[in-house]
Amino acid sequence: MRRAIVAAFIACCAASGRAEPVTYLFDAQHTQVQWETRHFGTSTQRGRFVSVEGSIVIDWQAGRGDVSVSIATADVSSGVPALDAMLRGAGFLASDRFPAAYFVARQLRFEGDRLQEVRGEFTLRGVSQPLSLRATRFACRLDAGLRRDVCGGDFEGRILRSDFGSTYGLPFVGDEVRLLVAVEAVRQP
Amino acid sequence: MKKPLLTLAAFVATCAAHAEPVTYAIDPSHTFVSYEVNHMNTSTSRGRFDRKEGSVTIDRQAGTGKIDVTIDTRSIDTGVPALDTEMKGADFFNAARFATARFVGDKVSFDGDRVSAVSGNLTMLGKTLPVTLKATHFNCYTNPMLKREVCGGDFDTPLARSQWGMSYGVQYGVPDSIRLLIQVEAVKQ
Repeated sequence: MRRAIVAAFIACCAASGRAEPVTYLFDAQHTQVQWETRHFGTSTQRGRFVSVEGSIVIDWQAGRGDVSVSIATADVSSGVPALDAMLRGAGFLASDRFPAAYFVARQLRFEGDRLQEVRGEFTLRGVSQPLSLRATRFACRLDAGLRRDVCGGDFEGRILRSDFGSTYGLPFVGDEVRLLVAVEAVRQP
Repeated sequence: MKKPLLTLAAFVATCAAHAEPVTYAIDPSHTFVSYEVNHMNTSTSRGRFDRKEGSVTIDRQAGTGKIDVTIDTRSIDTGVPALDTEMKGADFFNAARFATARFVGDKVSFDGDRVSAVSGNLTMLGKTLPVTLKATHFNCYTNPMLKREVCGGDFDTPLARSQWGMSYGVQYGVPDSIRLLIQVEAVKQ
């Protein structure tokens, strides 16, 4: 009897694997960083980064984790090629000098199994500043296609681009940039 | 005495400019139609249409106006080429048969000088149904480069895509509800 319970416990926890830190790698098909800023105080202009690589390590029992993200800034896409060229330039992303932006975070706040907030450091144009991303959605599922656990959601944060040395076009092109991160990450064996 | 006269002249000039319907041509660099839809109860999937055209007419005194935006459904851009192909296919926008989608809003609601909502018809997959777009921002400004008045803002509404016959996956839990976002800037003609 006792052996059966122990066996069931091992089976359970080996399957859920939640006893020790679990690594999830970003799924490129379902991960994008979108930014939004106001143009002349009128419309919201948007663009996205699709080359976003990263991982999240979660220790579910301890309620801790570790996030590491790298964004290739030259792949910025606004839908207007001329604007993309400008965004890659020295006034905005300075992609030649700084091909990647980074987000590294070790302060993860959970409520139960739901990740609520990720606090860390964002590096853009070689300048690092604190950044907090709030989860507006978070969920994990057993993906039927991949047959693996997938965790992810929507995260939101705000930066002032001038804090990172991008002042071109101020104040007509907004200083405040809203970051909308859609991310799904696949559990690694 | 001189000053009030000048003020009056300026006032008359301003009002004369707005006394009759003014036509604005959509600036394609700052006008986008995009959507948001939830993926597997986890993250938000976004897409935009890169080719569009249209015009806006506003008669502030009469409190009337019209907005007409046409998108090329073949220009859908999600950042993931395989998903673009799927979205252009018969299950979604069926771009081979219906190369355009169009919104014609002929009931413009004002809150003072600002447009607060636009009601009209959305034609998608050949089917025309009424929708109302809520303005979350609206503003007019003089663009220093164009030296012309530009009006625009942000509009959005939830839509049930199945109403237009885009029902793929709804029975399996792919969301029926999508959020339609239109950011628009239009230049006075």
